[in-house]
Amino acid sequence: MDSLLGLLRATGQLLSLQPLLLITVGISVGILAGAMPGVSPSMGVALMVPFTYAMDPSMALVYLAAIYLAANYGGAITAIMINTPGTPSAVVTSFDGHPLCVQGRAREALGLALVASFVGGAFGTLILMLFAAPLASVALKFWPAEYFSLAVLGLSTIASMGGENALKSAMSAALGLLVCTVGMDPVLGVNRFTFGNVNLFDGFEFIPMLIGLLALSEIFVEVEEFDFRPQKVEDEAGSKWPGFLYYWKLRAAMLRASIIGTIVGIFPGAGATIAAFISYDMEKRISKTPERFGKGIPEGVVAGEAADSASVGGALVPMLTLGIPGSATAAVLMGALMIHDLQPGPELFVKNPDVIYKLYASLFIGNTVMLILGIWGSKLWINVTRVRKQLLFPLIFAFAMIGSYAVNSSMWDVMVCLGFGIVGYILKRYNYPLPPFVLGMVLGEMAEMNLRRAVMMAGPTAVFQRPISVTMLAVAALSFVIPVISARRKRAAKAKGSVAA
Amino acid sequence: MSIKRLFALALTAALLFALGTGAAAAAAAAAADFPTKPIRIINYVAPGGIMDITTRKFTEIAAKYTKAVFVVENRTGAGGLVGMEYVLSQPADGYTIFAPTGSVVIQVVSTKSNVDKYIWGFDWVSMLMMDPECIITNSKLKINTWEDVVADAKAKGGKQIWVGPSTGGNDHLMAMKVWDKADISAVWIPFESGPAAMAALMGGQGVAYVGNPADIMGRPDLKIAAVSSSARLPQFPDAPTFKELGIAGLDEESMWRGFCVKKGTPPEAVKWLQDLVEKVAADPEWRKFFEDQGIEVVSYTTEKFTSLVKKDLEDALKYFTQFGIL
Repeated sequence: MDSLLGLLRATGQLLSLQPLLLITVGISVGILAGAMPGVSPSMGVALMVPFTYAMDPSMALVYLAAIYLAANYGGAITAIMINTPGTPSAVVTSFDGHPLCVQGRAREALGLALVASFVGGAFGTLILMLFAAPLASVALKFWPAEYFSLAVLGLSTIASMGGENALKSAMSAALGLLVCTVGMDPVLGVNRFTFGNVNLFDGFEFIPMLIGLLALSEIFVEVEEFDFRPQKVEDEAGSKWPGFLYYWKLRAAMLRASIIGTIVGIFPGAGATIAAFISYDMEKRISKTPERFGKGIPEGVVAGEAADSASVGGALVPMLTLGIPGSATAAVLMGALMIHDLQPGPELFVKNPDVIYKLYASLFIGNTVMLILGIWGSKLWINVTRVRKQLLFPLIFAFAMIGSYAVNSSMWDVMVCLGFGIVGYILKRYNYPLPPFVLGMVLGEMAEMNLRRAVMMAGPTAVFQRPISVTMLAVAALSFVIPVISARRKRAAKAKGSVAA
Repeated sequence: MSIKRLFALALTAALLFALGTGAAAAAAAAAADFPTKPIRIINYVAPGGIMDITTRKFTEIAAKYTKAVFVVENRTGAGGLVGMEYVLSQPADGYTIFAPTGSVVIQVVSTKSNVDKYIWGFDWVSMLMMDPECIITNSKLKINTWEDVVADAKAKGGKQIWVGPSTGGNDHLMAMKVWDKADISAVWIPFESGPAAMAALMGGQGVAYVGNPADIMGRPDLKIAAVSSSARLPQFPDAPTFKELGIAGLDEESMWRGFCVKKGTPPEAVKWLQDLVEKVAADPEWRKFFEDQGIEVVSYTTEKFTSLVKKDLEDALKYFTQFGIL
């Protein structure tokens, strides 16, 4: 009861001009930061930290949390409109979001992403508020063995991602994993494939790699096709902003994705990207029309986007209850709190409960503001489809270069981006799907590091000694095997059928 | 949006930007002979990291004493080598400052990088603070005092697990020193970051974590089993020192933070920075912020700082060779 009163009081305090203005600015900054490839949510928040010095600590947190929340949605906009995810986690949104856009249903896609973000964000916050403490103790039960198994579970999603060609999709994932081995091995400090180049000590920077692989390769392919007729202009009659009923039909999918997003978000180091992939995979498996995934299905957009946004609430759970950041962005938030002399962790609930309530309230209010700004903004973003390709491609190219440079202010990263653009182009030309590559990149280090940690701690059978870990590995094995078996059965049935005929 | 409007928008943005930077430069020029333009502090950690917080706090406090404009930049990578490489590529004019910690020096050794270039290519001009190293345990576990840790380590014969950040880092070096002086052995399991390793300690994966006193703030389950300091820290009166626990030679192990500049930077620029550091170091707000965390605020200049860097180098070389990291 106390907490409800606290929340209501905090909400009341935030519903005045200055806090609302701050939240609105935060949401706008967040959406822009998220949409810009190269500015990740954590960078977006970090860039704004110095602006909060003069603010009251709780207002600073409110402002930064608003940016965090919105940045995870912003990534979807560019993912849908130009197939260039602004944030790593928005990769999943582009699977179905961009096909929808190409079909002239951009309004639907944008609306879906926005509503799913709203639902996911609200759900994650609700869980954070209600169950933070018990969830935190669950997070601590995840040892390296479990993290390894979670990564394997994530990797098993490529089995359903590959479409017709499972082998090519596995190859692509293997390449993604291989790329992760470049750099100084963090367990023993041995240099792998660095050739003495300091720039390679940490491996390839993730964001330039991602931009090159997805955005540049797309441009290269399009330029090669040289089909510069204007994009399918929005068919005013055919595509409308969807109404409430349209979204209501997707409520189950949104809820499932939100649950997965929150849960995965809780584990420090797992994060939004893995959440989005797992959620998308599950949605596809339980769907009656799995073949429509990847070709523009509303459930696909919703699955990634809701999970992505729900992970924000999840990532705040260990930060508030244990003082351990659940994501890179949560780490920046923690730093900002410390600058304001607030010690993140469970004592915050005792010493500064008002700050916590204001954070909760601001997440709810921020979510609503995001919905309103998003509805208004979508009308602007939709115009991207009207820009001629002759202009659009150079613009995307320029953004890709700037975005890659911005991560570390380094020309090396620009080269990395170009290099992976070429790699992506070659893979595309030979019909190797790119999403498994991205998944390999995301999960490679997590899988490797945790396997090695687990083995160092408990010997070679470490990952089979713990029940949660074994369960996840079993699920992963099943999800690899089942599609193969069912495909074989189908083929056998077909063969039989044709013989009978 | 029409192309014309897009263009107009871009032009306005560019114009605003030009105006902004122009004004800032003019203001700085009016302030003093040095600096005549914004000074960049290059950080090697990501935003939100300890050194990032320190430098940003520094610029905030420094604004009380100087009109000079500071810009904090984060150039992360290779445990600091990328940031150092960048500063070394800039002119030695005092407008680019590197913000190192003790960990950077050790990183140079553990990656077998060129010491003459990465360490002695800099002048180590201002040390800001010393954060004592300490051994942290989980009070919820059975093994949580220093005596428990030692007894358990001896019983397990080298299989006891210690958790911490990267292999070959500052905290790993400290662990080696402790193992050496206490005559025990254990396994070092490295994690992505300090907080990730602390989560592992909270989950009971290991028995000890090597860090700094402030790490237990806001994390009520954690406690300091032993701290490297000549006397108990007033902020953490319950934490015994190594000396009390009967282990000699671990009284002043710390994770220092400071500023260095590329070798050959003009003395007046160095002097200006050292004077500013002295003023900031005396500032009550600055002192309180760090002293609350058990950190000793100092303003050591070149001679003392350089000798401490030398000691770190020698220690790292000695222990990394002894434990087979090099």
